[in-house]
Amino acid sequence: MAEFSKQLERLEAIVRRLESEDLDLDEALKLFEEGVERLRVAREQLSQAELKVKKVLEIESPS
Amino acid sequence: MGARVDLFTAASTEGAWTVGEVTRRARAVIEAGLPPLWVRGEIAGFKAWRSGHWYFSLRDKSAQMRCVMFAKQNFMLPAPTDGMQVFVFARPSMYEEKGEFQLTVIELLSTEQGGLWKLAFEKAKAALTKDGLLDPAKKRRLPPFPRRIAVVTSPDGAALRDIEAVIGRRWPVAELIVVPAQVQGAKAEGSVCSALNRISRLPVDVLIVARGGGSVEDLWAFNSERVARTVAAMPMPVISAIGHETDVTLCDLVADLRAATPSAAAEAATPDRVEVLAQCGIVGQRLARALRIASRNGVERLDRSGDRLVRCMEQKLEKSGALLMAHSARLDALSPLRVLARGYAVARDTDGHVLKRVAQLPSGREFRLRVTDGEVNGRVQ
Repeated sequence: MAEFSKQLERLEAIVRRLESEDLDLDEALKLFEEGVERLRVAREQLSQAELKVKKVLEIESPS
Repeated sequence: MGARVDLFTAASTEGAWTVGEVTRRARAVIEAGLPPLWVRGEIAGFKAWRSGHWYFSLRDKSAQMRCVMFAKQNFMLPAPTDGMQVFVFARPSMYEEKGEFQLTVIELLSTEQGGLWKLAFEKAKAALTKDGLLDPAKKRRLPPFPRRIAVVTSPDGAALRDIEAVIGRRWPVAELIVVPAQVQGAKAEGSVCSALNRISRLPVDVLIVARGGGSVEDLWAFNSERVARTVAAMPMPVISAIGHETDVTLCDLVADLRAATPSAAAEAATPDRVEVLAQCGIVGQRLARALRIASRNGVERLDRSGDRLVRCMEQKLEKSGALLMAHSARLDALSPLRVLARGYAVARDTDGHVLKRVAQLPSGREFRLRVTDGEVNGRVQ
């Protein structure tokens, strides 16, 4: 999920660029497509419904 | 005068006590006559043996006595230091092998500056401060979207149940790695440290160290300098939730964040998935709107370019139109028809060759004469 925050950061950057810059339509479309894809991946990552719990066995405490 | 002592009889085998008999008798007398009691005095000659047993003297201005406190009584207690004023609850006895009067200490309390615990706490805290481990600048930020969350706690305590419930509700996207540890008793310090060391080698984004409330003794492991130093050395941010809100432990102090309860620790460690999804929705909307604006700009620009193109062509065409008119005027002026119109005529033979010279027009030659409005035939006379 470290990638998740990167994903969101990149998304934010894409949106800001799209919003603020005078872009070629072509470039704007490319950014938009990338944004939509990243959003899809992010949503997919969020879709895991149940917490995975892993118990690590206790090792003998050193005496 | 007192009774005469028969020295011979007194020194005989039958009349004298052995050392063992005396010490055993003395021990019995002491133990029968002096029940366990509280004694106050100053600690002197304190020594902790490798076995864990403590030996020291208690003294005041006029007297002193030997004391022993066995490991099974002192294991959770911070060691006192010489000169400390203490209260002990002890059984007076005789250490027969050495013939020494001795207190077997069951409880040891200090009234100095809040007691032994407080003193030991302050001492360890000072050591940690000196090494910069409590520096607020050292506190790390928690990861906003943790993927792996580790928990060190008792495997069957309420703390773990609370943490699981909160993370399961807020951020089930994560993986929870539970490393059980003994959180109280003699083995707690070692157990917590080995659990921490174990986690330090795992790819974990954030760690929660938790323990429910308890007495000072129960929380002892989390006030140990060793545990505190291990927590400070963890490679990932640590959230500490030990005891009740009012008990601040060394573990709480060195952690990157202190939470009041295990549930609060779990909340601090995780974002709320619902909120993150809403955030994603907003980003999606912004994305769509931004594209709409960008494309509208593009279309407008295209429109503008189109307009310019048309205007440009029109201008070009206009210009060429004028040129064409000028050219056609000039062409018109040069046209032979215009010359004919001025009254000139051109003579050509029957094959259409222009007859320009006298030699070309011998007598009797037929020719055709072109004038402005038509042609006539003629013959040279």
